[in-house]
Amino acid sequence: MNLRRWIEVGSVAVIGMVGLTAVPAIAHHSAAPFYDATKKVSAQGSVTRFLFKNPHSFLYFESSDDKGQKTEWQIELGPAASLTRTGWTPETLKPGTAIKAEGQPSRAEGSHGMCCAKITKPDGSPIVAGGRVTEEQQPPR
Amino acid sequence: MSTTRRSITRFDRFRASVACGTLLAGALGLTVASTGAQEQIYDPTKIPALEGTWDGTPRARPVNSETVPWGKDNFPVLNERAKAYQKVFDEALSPKYDCQPSSSPAIQYDPYSMQVLQWPDRVVFRYEKDDQIRTIWLDGRKPTIYDWGLQGFSVGHYEGDALIAETDHFVFDITGFDDYNGIPSSQLKKVRERYWREGQELKVTVTVEDPMFLKQPASYTTRWLPQRPGYKLSAWDCDPEASRAPVKMMPQKYKD
Repeated sequence: MNLRRWIEVGSVAVIGMVGLTAVPAIAHHSAAPFYDATKKVSAQGSVTRFLFKNPHSFLYFESSDDKGQKTEWQIELGPAASLTRTGWTPETLKPGTAIKAEGQPSRAEGSHGMCCAKITKPDGSPIVAGGRVTEEQQPPR
Repeated sequence: MSTTRRSITRFDRFRASVACGTLLAGALGLTVASTGAQEQIYDPTKIPALEGTWDGTPRARPVNSETVPWGKDNFPVLNERAKAYQKVFDEALSPKYDCQPSSSPAIQYDPYSMQVLQWPDRVVFRYEKDDQIRTIWLDGRKPTIYDWGLQGFSVGHYEGDALIAETDHFVFDITGFDDYNGIPSSQLKKVRERYWREGQELKVTVTVEDPMFLKQPASYTTRWLPQRPGYKLSAWDCDPEASRAPVKMMPQKYKD
């Protein structure tokens, strides 16, 4: 195996270890009016819908509290145009997938949204084998 | 009779010579723009090489925000009318939440890629974000009453190592200056762009004037880097639902 081939194999291995990471969101609107960067919120539940679109993608999931009260959450992600280039597809998060999300909460009273979320399996392990799904910055606008 | 025939023949020969000359010039890539005051000879070897697909993502420059590209050093000087608009501005008003594309001087700074094509009579800018296409006419044509639009009407010319584009005929846009600071732009907006190459980079200085809202022209300079070989702009296909979805996460400024 020549040097170039070793580099290619090494790169794939590194990607496999680090996993699937969303690029920092590309700006379409400022997150400041929508989400509070000084706070954190977390929830877990099952994916109900993955809107893989431009100008932003949205992940919807439903959580339940101890009394069985259900809440639908909306997580804002980057544009499909950017997510696609980092390996995401519309199938990355299928309906029914159990997830745990932690991110900045939405500001609107009564809303259940978040941005800049770290999304994992409920036990904290990566959803994608060997990796994680994280939106590390406020969503692009 | 024979004199007339000779005259016609000479005239036909003259026309044939002109036609041949034109064809030859076309074959050599030399096209004469035949209308208007900005008449100039197009020679692809003598114009700045702007053509290509250019990367405007964070790899090339900071992402746009409330302070980028309009920061403390170049923030526009607003008149009272603009300040009044800013005061009542409500983020939910922004047309981008219904897939309306941005316009100049914001579109040049959107953090995506764009493609530039240089043809004899025009330069075409295709923006990845919002699938926008702008045509900079080089043939001296003038706008008509049908040329008002979100992206306005653009004419241009080459000046040394630069392309100069001048755009007017913009329609009023509530976020037409940029989409972060609640500054509108009017039908009086004029945008001048100067594009040039610095090594591998494509650079532009964008200058905007709008006496309806700005006390004086404002400008910024930015750059693109070459996109990787083979890169193709993707279709944007803005989704109305995804476009408006963030709005319900924001406290509403007006209650009813």
